[in-house]
Amino acid sequence: MSLKRKDDYDHAGWMKERELTAIERIYLTTLMWLDKRFRIVDYLEILENMYYKVNFQMPKSHTEQYNLDNKFWYWYPLYALGSFSTIAYIVAAISGALLGFYYAPGAGASNGEPALAYNTITFIMTDLNLGFFLRSLHRWSAQVMVAAVFLHMLRVYFTGAYKEPRELNWLIGIALISLTMVFGYTGYLLPWDQLAFWAGQIGVEMSLSIPLIGEWVAQLLFGGFTLSQSTVQRMYIIHVFILPFVVTGVIALHIGIVWMQGIAEPH
Amino acid sequence: MTEDTTDADTDEDVRTDGSGPGIVPPDDETPTWGERKTRREGLARLTYEYFERARSEDQELRQESSYVERDVLAFPTWPHEMIRNLALVSFFVGMIIFLSAALPPHIGPPADSSSTPAVILPDWYLYWSFGLLKLGPLNPDISLLGGQKLMADRTYGVLANLVVVGFVAIVPFLNKGSARRPVEQPFWGAVGMSGVVFAFTVAVLSVKNLVPMDSHLLFDLTFLLPVVSACLTYAVLRSMREGYMFNLNRRYYRLRPPK
Repeated sequence: MSLKRKDDYDHAGWMKERELTAIERIYLTTLMWLDKRFRIVDYLEILENMYYKVNFQMPKSHTEQYNLDNKFWYWYPLYALGSFSTIAYIVAAISGALLGFYYAPGAGASNGEPALAYNTITFIMTDLNLGFFLRSLHRWSAQVMVAAVFLHMLRVYFTGAYKEPRELNWLIGIALISLTMVFGYTGYLLPWDQLAFWAGQIGVEMSLSIPLIGEWVAQLLFGGFTLSQSTVQRMYIIHVFILPFVVTGVIALHIGIVWMQGIAEPH
Repeated sequence: MTEDTTDADTDEDVRTDGSGPGIVPPDDETPTWGERKTRREGLARLTYEYFERARSEDQELRQESSYVERDVLAFPTWPHEMIRNLALVSFFVGMIIFLSAALPPHIGPPADSSSTPAVILPDWYLYWSFGLLKLGPLNPDISLLGGQKLMADRTYGVLANLVVVGFVAIVPFLNKGSARRPVEQPFWGAVGMSGVVFAFTVAVLSVKNLVPMDSHLLFDLTFLLPVVSACLTYAVLRSMREGYMFNLNRRYYRLRPPK
């Protein structure tokens, strides 16, 4: 067996039988020389692909077909509510991470004396530079996120966007709206002021009245049947460790499915 | 002919210690990837067969479609939706920043287990759930049990929450079809409106000691208003639909008999 490689694709022969002009021959020779080294064909494919993506002509949508653009644009902000809640979630995550540098969970005896959690909140609100703005940003973005999520659900309902291929995403959305409210509730308890304490009291009573698993749920979420240090600590861990991972993952899934299936055609 | 020789060769020469010809170059004996797939059995084979069917189905649909006038099931998320959303979202973030600079939150007195405040409330978005906890009067007491209630009022309230969420969850399995506008389905529009109104009325019920109204009247209104609003919505949507149908069919009415 000889070491000389066989030329399966006899480009030189092909060029000879093609009766090319000088310019064409020089061009082709250069191209083949470069292609042999860099395999330009692959990159050409990418370029071609990009060309088609840039000059992608959309099929006519229902909105265009029936000339509904005026109505569609009028209602458009309602179609952006999902993005609104996502961006509010991102803002809350960033401001929450910054708040986490200064906040510490601690309930004390809950006898009217300010405890650790309450003191750190007071510190953030009064002493820390721009601390009041940070907490305010966190709280407002959370409120706005919940509002946007509720309105998003109403929009989806009234435009029938939950129908046939999208049932699964509707169910995921229900899980998300519930998780958002749990997020809000756990955050509501963290300052450990009067409102937080008594909202926690209601929470314990609610979970105790769940049939069969009530006591177990109360132990798991609130760390006992009465509010104590472990309640604040558990709420803190749920709020800053467990829920962020879960909710971020579920949001990614939710948006990924929307991305795959496309926006339900509004009309 | 070739098969026989290769078979004989491989049988003789291949050894487990790696000596001999060892790696055999692909020849006619080596199955192609397609053949490997078709040789599979059980679930893997089923999956493969189904994917083949789905692919050919897509292919046929694509060949049948006339492309330009075809009905579109969805807008692509990128770029249409995202670009417009990004523009709106930047205003939205500005709004959040403005709100939080202008209205910093209040911080109440520290937790005190010995003094119950007059008003205990969760955040506003939990009012509806809080109101469902106060549906005690609806909890049936059965005469067979001697006027005993079947379950505690609180348990009943927690279950009411589950029922509401469960109903919202099964909506896509009850309401199918391609209708998108509320006008097309007045019934489901009415159901939605009654749900929205019920969320508000039950939220008001949750703060009934703050509402200057007889609590029995408030309780009755909580359930009456959603029904009333459902009827109203149904009537409005139905009449709107009649209007649309008239517009659609007007050409029909205008036809004159030929002279």
